[in-house]
Amino acid sequence: MAAKKIIFKQSKKWEGELDKCIRCGYCYELCPLFKSYNWESDTPRGKLLLVHGMITGKLKPTQEIIEKIFQCFYCKNCSDNCSAGVPVTEILTDARADLINAGFEVEGTIIQINEELCSVCGVCVSLCKYDALKIVNDGKDKKKVVVDKIECRGCGLCLAACPSQAISQKEGCNVTLPELHENVKEILRKDEKKLVVFACNYSIFPGLQLSESQTIINLPYGVIVSMCSGRVAPELILEAFEEGAWGVMVAGCPPEECDHNGNYKTRRRLILLKKMLNELNIEPERVKLEWFSTGESSKLLNMINQFVEELEKLGPIKAYVKT
Amino acid sequence: MKKVDVEQLVKIVGKDNATDNPADLYVYSADASVHQAMPNAVVRPKTIEQVQKIMRYANKNKIPVVPRGAGSGTSGHSVPIDGGIVLDMKRMNRILEVSPEDMLVRVEPGVVDDDLNRTLLSYGLFYPPAPASSRIATIGGEIAANASGVRSVKYGATRDYVMGMKVVLADGSLVNLGSNTRVHSSGYQLERLIVGSEGTLGVVVEATMRIIPIPKFRCLGMANFNKIENAGNAISEIISSGSQPSMLELMDGIGIIAVNKALDMGLPKVGAIVFFEADGNIKEAVDYETYKMKQICEKHKGFGVKMSYDAAERKRIFSGRKKLFASLSRYKEGIVCTDLADDMGVPNSKIAVTTTKIHEIAKRNHVIMAVYGHCGSGVIHTKIMLDSKKKSQWKDAEKVIEELYDFIHSIGGVTSAEHGIGLSKAPPWKKARKDIIPMMRAIKKALDPNNILNPHKIMDAPDNWVKATDLRYRVGS
Repeated sequence: MAAKKIIFKQSKKWEGELDKCIRCGYCYELCPLFKSYNWESDTPRGKLLLVHGMITGKLKPTQEIIEKIFQCFYCKNCSDNCSAGVPVTEILTDARADLINAGFEVEGTIIQINEELCSVCGVCVSLCKYDALKIVNDGKDKKKVVVDKIECRGCGLCLAACPSQAISQKEGCNVTLPELHENVKEILRKDEKKLVVFACNYSIFPGLQLSESQTIINLPYGVIVSMCSGRVAPELILEAFEEGAWGVMVAGCPPEECDHNGNYKTRRRLILLKKMLNELNIEPERVKLEWFSTGESSKLLNMINQFVEELEKLGPIKAYVKT
Repeated sequence: MKKVDVEQLVKIVGKDNATDNPADLYVYSADASVHQAMPNAVVRPKTIEQVQKIMRYANKNKIPVVPRGAGSGTSGHSVPIDGGIVLDMKRMNRILEVSPEDMLVRVEPGVVDDDLNRTLLSYGLFYPPAPASSRIATIGGEIAANASGVRSVKYGATRDYVMGMKVVLADGSLVNLGSNTRVHSSGYQLERLIVGSEGTLGVVVEATMRIIPIPKFRCLGMANFNKIENAGNAISEIISSGSQPSMLELMDGIGIIAVNKALDMGLPKVGAIVFFEADGNIKEAVDYETYKMKQICEKHKGFGVKMSYDAAERKRIFSGRKKLFASLSRYKEGIVCTDLADDMGVPNSKIAVTTTKIHEIAKRNHVIMAVYGHCGSGVIHTKIMLDSKKKSQWKDAEKVIEELYDFIHSIGGVTSAEHGIGLSKAPPWKKARKDIIPMMRAIKKALDPNNILNPHKIMDAPDNWVKATDLRYRVGS
């Protein structure tokens, strides 16, 4: 797309803050987008550079640049840990507003609604904490759900809850259901782990984060960063058992600390799932839901080790042991 | 230089790992320095063979190649001043071997320092050079800058841990330098030549590094001082008395105000704080060292001494110092923290005089400079805090840099102790080291005759650092 001339009405005020960013890069070790793509343009520092370039006129906005600005899950690990105190996500939100107002079309990590599949039941609207979803009139006697692209945080709770599976999100960030399924398979088939841990990005992932270098130590568990624990659909857990997992742990934020209220939904879902496991001859204690605050990575590691010990006593799931 | 053909690069590394997308080019045009210059392409190799192919392509077409680790360099080391290809090494991040028997690790250059140490923890070992940026700094970048950090006073710098390395040269050939033995006297110590070469001589694609056991006990203390020169003198005496600190850090009153503002640290509002640490396997020996350092601090009017063996308490005490660099941005509204004159090294006896001189030069030239650093090793960090919008402030910064480095060199100090020369420190360094520039140029020419590896840095960098590239800030009139 050709470059557009736009006025950065809302984001221009941040130039001073962007100059305060010393570009040390400490923010990107905590960024799930960077962990997925590994390009510096996906890091908080990279995005701030792009915003700075655009508002100072050094950089003309192009579709590629806009896409980068709209790729963020708002976990705020960057701004919460910035010693220079740069309000990264506030700056991004204002830049997004300017770009949307300038008429740019974007995908980013914003959710999309397939109108043909959507029954306009409104489940998604009621659970979105950011009021990013609205039911609006679509011509005469017709309604549809629309997404506010500035407010959508890409948390994906609506995606996991939509009964019509009408909501989707761009692949590539390892958070969509098909991607999470693939990760489960990889951990269990290729790496032959016994325990799958779904870790919430918003609380404990920053303390857990390791590069590929951890592969030198053969751990009995694999960690999948699922963004909010509310994204862990029951079928993901069932698939893990089918693929040979001895146990599954879902690690989420403590009840009052979840930004999206996703943890309450997880708790309800897992109560139902555990009842179902009994019917399938799978011990319900093979599924654990635990709460962890930011920085409680050592508590998480202790809980994991404890769970691995319990699973060693239980052994593999009898229902799935091949004879 | 021929035009960069991204398709050729895509053939080598795949479409997901080579780009000329303007978003990526712009982001890879900068590091943590004041400089900014656009590359023509960014490539992310995964294997040694890919690095070799990229270098062969670049050498044939005389295209500059700038290797890059975390991009946390402070002087524009990885800013592609002549355009060309930025070689992002972060995908080569595997730990290939941990050998407790031989006390070494073999790693790819993109391994992050903290990740390496997390892995080594389960072996009871550690890799000591760790700079403050260890959470993102890559081993390759640390080798390029001969990085060191808070524990250099006891454990030394990266160069002291490099045993061997594989390097891809400008023409794409692969050489295996050094050895797996603790010492060697088998020809030129070429692995040492690569350390601190800032990507100008070759691309490190594998490194073998020495590792050591984690000491059983660590005790950290802090002492407050009303006057910074007293703190500086305490540090000098601790070193000259034969004490063996594992850390000996200084933080001045400006730094204290900044971290208190930025992070609500609640540090005492004093002229300076000295952090001192000793470690070892015998508690009595650690007690002896820390007690001795405490006494020396008190002799120099240090007060309010706190000491702790507890890991959580040590982390809490030191967190203000650890986050100081970024916090300086918050010292005062309307000013920014620029990475200039950031890491000079001075002889042990000159610490106090240097700290007061820095404050004096800053005040006279209308800028603010914090003084801190690993002063036990003679490393003095500063930053120049100024109003980046005012053109006159950049003139002030130029004057500060010239005057400060003239002073540093006059007392036997060095331009850079652990961050490297890059672009912004090149003018004062060139002025001080005229004698070795021809030798360095001859080495560069022998290894890189087409001058494609990180060209126009260190000895070949422009003489005016302000005009060397675009500045990252928008400067008014």
